[in-house]
Amino acid sequence: MPDQFAAPEPDAAVKLALQRIRETTTAGQGSDMEGLEFNEVVVNMGPQHPSTHGVLRLVVTLDGELVKDVIPVIGYLHRCKEKLAEKRTYYQYIPIVDRTEYLASMNCEWGYVMTVEKLMGIRPTRRAEVIRVLLGELMRIASHQVAVGTFVADLSPLGTAMVFYMFRDREVILDLLEEVSGARMMFNYLRFGGVRYDLPSGWVEKCRAFIRKMPKLIDEYESLVDDNAIFLQRTVGKGVITQQDVVDYGITGPNARASGVKLDLRRTRPYSVYPELDFEICTGTHGDVFDRYKVRMNEMHESLKIVEQCLDMLRPGPVQLGSLRAPYVITPPPGSCYVGQENPRGEYGTYIVSDGSRYPYRLKFRDPCFCNLQLFPKLLRGNKIADAVAISGSIDLVLGGIDR
Amino acid sequence: MVPDRLKVGYPKLENFQNPNVITTTADFLFSWARSHSVFPFTYGLACCAIEMLSSGFARFDVARYGMEVFRPTPRQCDLMIVAGTVNEKMAPVLKRLYDQMAEPKWVVAMGACATSGGPFYDGYNVVNGVDKIVPVDVYVPGCPPRPEALFQGLLELQTKIQQHSFAPRLPGAPDG
Amino acid sequence: MTLEIGTVALTMDEIAERLSGAFPGELADVRVQEPDTVVARLDRAKLKDVARRLKELPQLAYETLNWIAGVDLGTQFESVYHVYSWRTNTYLELHVPVPRAKAEVDTVSDVWPAADWHEREAWDMMGIRYVGHPDLRRILLKDDFVGHPLRKDYVDLAENHPHA
Repeated sequence: MPDQFAAPEPDAAVKLALQRIRETTTAGQGSDMEGLEFNEVVVNMGPQHPSTHGVLRLVVTLDGELVKDVIPVIGYLHRCKEKLAEKRTYYQYIPIVDRTEYLASMNCEWGYVMTVEKLMGIRPTRRAEVIRVLLGELMRIASHQVAVGTFVADLSPLGTAMVFYMFRDREVILDLLEEVSGARMMFNYLRFGGVRYDLPSGWVEKCRAFIRKMPKLIDEYESLVDDNAIFLQRTVGKGVITQQDVVDYGITGPNARASGVKLDLRRTRPYSVYPELDFEICTGTHGDVFDRYKVRMNEMHESLKIVEQCLDMLRPGPVQLGSLRAPYVITPPPGSCYVGQENPRGEYGTYIVSDGSRYPYRLKFRDPCFCNLQLFPKLLRGNKIADAVAISGSIDLVLGGIDR
Repeated sequence: MVPDRLKVGYPKLENFQNPNVITTTADFLFSWARSHSVFPFTYGLACCAIEMLSSGFARFDVARYGMEVFRPTPRQCDLMIVAGTVNEKMAPVLKRLYDQMAEPKWVVAMGACATSGGPFYDGYNVVNGVDKIVPVDVYVPGCPPRPEALFQGLLELQTKIQQHSFAPRLPGAPDG
Repeated sequence: MTLEIGTVALTMDEIAERLSGAFPGELADVRVQEPDTVVARLDRAKLKDVARRLKELPQLAYETLNWIAGVDLGTQFESVYHVYSWRTNTYLELHVPVPRAKAEVDTVSDVWPAADWHEREAWDMMGIRYVGHPDLRRILLKDDFVGHPLRKDYVDLAENHPHA
């Protein structure tokens, strides 16, 4: 019977943390710090933890309440996706791409489908492009609702009203998406050259009703926390991402935009019908936790504007390229390419190497959260452990994408 | 389903003037109380965790079954809902957390990944089903299962909990 | 400082020409992949030097590393680097062939700090060793995993499945 009270053997990450403590304590040899004892403790946060938003493990070296060092350990959700790509045909792989960043599945499918379309040299139909933007932006709103909702829920012990309001409205978006694709979360809806189903009758009116009442609801969410002195104290000035960090670590998405960098792939590397749409890039000024929260709330407003313009742009037409309806096996010509698109979390793309067969030869995901997580040790050093929770929530991590 | 010997008639409201007496077995009373106030363990690993979250919030309210108290520590829980894929790196952690739960404890395998590996069954790092590590009481299929499907699983679990007996078993007697 | 995107207006062919001119004999097979990527091949011995100079090129400074991928081409490996230039708003994809027998290549984590975890992942998945990396250990798989799974000759081992 294994002893459930025995401490587990320290693994590589904990050993590294302990070794770093020994190195810093011996650094004081010969100085006036020699002989002082440091009381640094190595604490394990995760992989099962309410505030890490998934199975992320943080090996934190604490000096009292100050965080001296953080070693993130990932891989607890590694599902071998890149190897599975070599055993599935291109069409069979679409549901697996859905499960990468499961909060923004429509955008993940889009990133994969765009790369394959570029390899094959085809363009989707016009109506399908508009539908893709429409549903992608709705998914962006739903994803931000979960991201900001769980972030605010971490700051207070799950008793906040904000996350309940956000999930209530997220259900309306999921209803709309379910009517179109048949599923609430993993849509398997995009196809090479178009989308699987056309919009059902009556859907456009429901969508218009939704976007008519949504702006007031977003303002309602903001009114719940924006004036709260405790929220402001915990978020303003904390976890600042500088523009040099954005350049050094490849930070993209709302995390980069909150630092004042106008990096939005919908504008800098436009794809689909985004060149014809009128929307603003939301940026912040300080790059702290509060700015990241504000950028996400403003992006929800901008997404609603895009959805409205797309509803006006819809014209009758086919939603799939005639040549690709059946059978669902494609063989892209040999070559390789990478296409990135603007996921709610940043730049998400796939690099596909094709050898002309039915299966991808090599598929690599460029995941925004993987790149954003590298900045963690730098962001958390010098902050208190309670701020670590706020900062990790504001970075908006989805472990499905980090671990793939 | 609940066998007849464990059912009891509830007192009628008109009889509240008279002293009310319920006679039943201790098993039934405690199991009934346990089944209607389960503390689930937030063991959301992957995408199914989001549907578990949705089932806890306003539209699909899991509080109507008494299960809204999701505790993050296993020491205070009696139900572990494994929502998501378990891989070889996570398996020792899962076993450790299961061991930390106090008896009586139940496990619900939510989703195709926890049931049998799901769409990742042939991955080199994926454990094909959480029942290879811990004993599972209810399997909820789906990828991800809708909150209503999770509720059906939880109601089946309630029936199973109501059949639990804490009387010491005589040697050779069948499991209660 | 406000980071500006796309301040330098150059066509893709001009960029390809400038790169060939700045690195004569080092960047081979420079070609343009529409709409905004230049693809080139680079010898692994020259990787570190070229990486440093790419970051400091006037007008074309490739300051950000987007991703690094390890690819198993059967006869050899390939380490693919995807870098971004803010001023021209274009990408450069560098293919560095790595021999299979001695799969080692210099690290670029001192040039682009983002390379840290990407190189760890390429080591974990493909077994390409990055010489000079500050902390090259497994990142996604458990520490005692045997083998490098994304190699084409990887066979599923029983040691990697204690819970099967």
